[in-house]
Amino acid sequence: MSATIRNLEGNEACALGAIRAGCRFFAGYPITPSSEVAEVMSRELPKVGGTFIQMEDEIASMGAVIGASMGGVKAMTATSGPGFSLKQENLGYACGAEIPCVIVNVMRGGPSTGMPTRPAQGDIMQARWGTHGDHAIIVLAPASVAEAYSETIRAVELSETLRVPVVVLLDEVIGHLTETVDLSAVPETPEVWRKFATGPRAGFQPYAVTEDLIPPMPRPGDGYRAHCTGLTHAPGGFPTQVPEVATAAVTRTTDKLALHRERIESWRVQDADDADLLIVAIGISARAARQAVRDLRTEGLRVGLFRPVTLWPFPEEALRDIVARSGAKAVLVPEMNQGQLVLEIERVLAGKAPALRLNRIDGQPITPDEIADRAREALK
Amino acid sequence: MATTEIRFSGSGGQGLLLSARILAAALALQGRNVAQSNAYEPVSRGGLSRSDLVISEGEADFPLARRLDYLLILDLAGLGVSDHLLSPRSVVLADAELVPDPPRGDFRTLALPFAETARSLGNPRVTNIVALGTLCALSELCPPELLLERVLAMTPAKFDRLNRDAFAAGQAMAVHEPA
Amino acid sequence: MKDTTEATAFDVNSWIRQEQMPHFLCPGCGHGIALRALVWALHEQGIDKDKLAVVSGIGCSGRLSAYIDANTFHTTHGRPLTFATGLKLARPDLSVVVITGDGDCLAIGGNHLIHAARRNLDITCLMLNNEIYGMTGGQVSPTTAEGRYTSTTPQGNTEPGFDACALAAAAGAGFVGREVTMQVLGLRDLIGQAIAHKGFSFVEVLSDCTEIYGRKNDLGASPEMMLAKKSEMRPFAYRNTVDVPFRPNHLRTGVIARSERPEYGAAYRAMAAGLRGEGGDA
Repeated sequence: MSATIRNLEGNEACALGAIRAGCRFFAGYPITPSSEVAEVMSRELPKVGGTFIQMEDEIASMGAVIGASMGGVKAMTATSGPGFSLKQENLGYACGAEIPCVIVNVMRGGPSTGMPTRPAQGDIMQARWGTHGDHAIIVLAPASVAEAYSETIRAVELSETLRVPVVVLLDEVIGHLTETVDLSAVPETPEVWRKFATGPRAGFQPYAVTEDLIPPMPRPGDGYRAHCTGLTHAPGGFPTQVPEVATAAVTRTTDKLALHRERIESWRVQDADDADLLIVAIGISARAARQAVRDLRTEGLRVGLFRPVTLWPFPEEALRDIVARSGAKAVLVPEMNQGQLVLEIERVLAGKAPALRLNRIDGQPITPDEIADRAREALK
Repeated sequence: MATTEIRFSGSGGQGLLLSARILAAALALQGRNVAQSNAYEPVSRGGLSRSDLVISEGEADFPLARRLDYLLILDLAGLGVSDHLLSPRSVVLADAELVPDPPRGDFRTLALPFAETARSLGNPRVTNIVALGTLCALSELCPPELLLERVLAMTPAKFDRLNRDAFAAGQAMAVHEPA
Repeated sequence: MKDTTEATAFDVNSWIRQEQMPHFLCPGCGHGIALRALVWALHEQGIDKDKLAVVSGIGCSGRLSAYIDANTFHTTHGRPLTFATGLKLARPDLSVVVITGDGDCLAIGGNHLIHAARRNLDITCLMLNNEIYGMTGGQVSPTTAEGRYTSTTPQGNTEPGFDACALAAAAGAGFVGREVTMQVLGLRDLIGQAIAHKGFSFVEVLSDCTEIYGRKNDLGASPEMMLAKKSEMRPFAYRNTVDVPFRPNHLRTGVIARSERPEYGAAYRAMAAGLRGEGGDA
């Protein structure tokens, strides 16, 4: 066995992936079921010259992460539902001021304290729209421990290169699942960094409109002495309420993700090309669907799976293409909530195929047999 | 995808999660893919504790247990919670003393003296290692020397001798059972 | 420390972003004096603007960071100390100054003050206390004196006010001081000592909100408010020797507490260097 093959827990894989991608700052607060991310970081970061701090609350840990990133250091935090709610205001600041950072959210039963040790997928909409106002954000949804590792690496890289917060959205099953992972499956590539400001100090604009819509980020100490604010700001970095400038400021951050969509979007398909019924799922529900598709295919039923790895922005073109190509008569969306992902599927498909629901909110994962039963019924 | 599924169940503090982790480590060394999931109550001692291993070639489609091949029950707390996962392919290994009325049906049930053996070796805390020895011999999932090596690597060195004895006693117990 | 042979004359304009003038403060507001005292102290301490980070929260005080020619961060309400904590830990080479207000620091951000003081990370925290939420229209704050009228205490404030310095000192801040805006030179020197201190330093500036607090409570214009406050204050150094022995602590000015507790960042880096088998930079 190669030294890179290890039995890793999902939460641990997030921490190790982040460190591998160059994350050198972690601030967190204990919360089930994500605390292992902080525990691994507290052990590993000081060994590589990084800093771990357990802050006084969830809000503070989000603030500290943004502060560290403003200082030019890659930074991450991890939490679960109640903590994710508390982090939303500062997360919005990071969206508005375009501060790279990664937030791991391990979903548990909700609302409120809910079922802390039980899995759920109820934060799908919150991950996209949790903070107020129009904003750009990326959400990645790993469905295995190997992906918790590789997608956290990708989260750090996307957040750095695009200057946008990235949420790694796990469910409790994936967070606490241990799987055999080959760490060398993620190829060694040069470390990815944000574009730091270079060139003349005089007249520097921290939010200049560049061709790629990603403004170079000034690093304290490099001589730019820029201003950064959560107020709507002009390209110069200072607050503005001039209507057209305000519109342009927010629009650039959302246009930025649209422009780089190809780099952001990621999805996997299984047996989708000829599917009469296409299942769309994330996380542990997608693993159940994967088994269900295999079982149903052995019965001769034409069922496939579309799994968004990038959850937000949702890979809508890819889904529309597959539905059109396969001629699927319906889409089935199993998810551990009362129906959130299905709303986006309905928007994307706009009536081209009906979206069927399969929901569980009892703290138990959806099983392959449940999905298979529902699929058989749909194909009758 | 063909999987082999094993559940370790009992009460918190019996070392079930550790046993599962040790077996998973040995299997990974053998090039197998292992998915381990745990469930326990929010207390460190007592209450139901269980750990499942789903063993496959390549990443399992579904990493949680569906149909158990082996069910180990070391305490009454582990009784009843796994019955829906049993089928004719299952083998139930229950402690003869701690689980007086193990599940029986169209599958094989073995009531074995894991705890009693551990006590006779001088420490009831190695009950889990005795059971691991038995499971290893019955399932032939991996070479016993490899598993024992993981046991010794993943437990404190001061228990090496005790763990060796416990593991060997467990293996010997399986020899007396028809395959 | 200041090198007197190299010292240049203090030019306030060299520290202020001229393009951001005129500032948005009301006529008579004490915050401008505090801003001047801060940049004067930074100058006297020989702080390099390129290596200076000023982090502020929300409210009237929060707007001041935008006026300073440095690396400035205007953060969220109550949270500047949390941003500053991450920034200082990630970049120990930077001088980090936080500008906050009584509402920002003691109400919504009160928990962060306690823990920043406890950790004793090398941050200078300047709390501008004008006893009111000015920007939102004059609501009661945690330092509003009993009996005072505000937008949300139309019958007079019935809550007791906070003694911020006692709180910071009790939580372990390495340096704690208080000054009134009328004593500009004393305020400058106090902030200078706070900046020079290696550890968490907390300076409460008793500022004056004339436009809202002054009007609502018929306290007169800025000079009257400043004089009244000055006459109430007693230097902390004389607390046991002269007059008004029964004055509560929150009327004391000067250096109120200092200790040489280990600075958190250095302690963490020493631990980490030990793990890596290095000598450490502490």
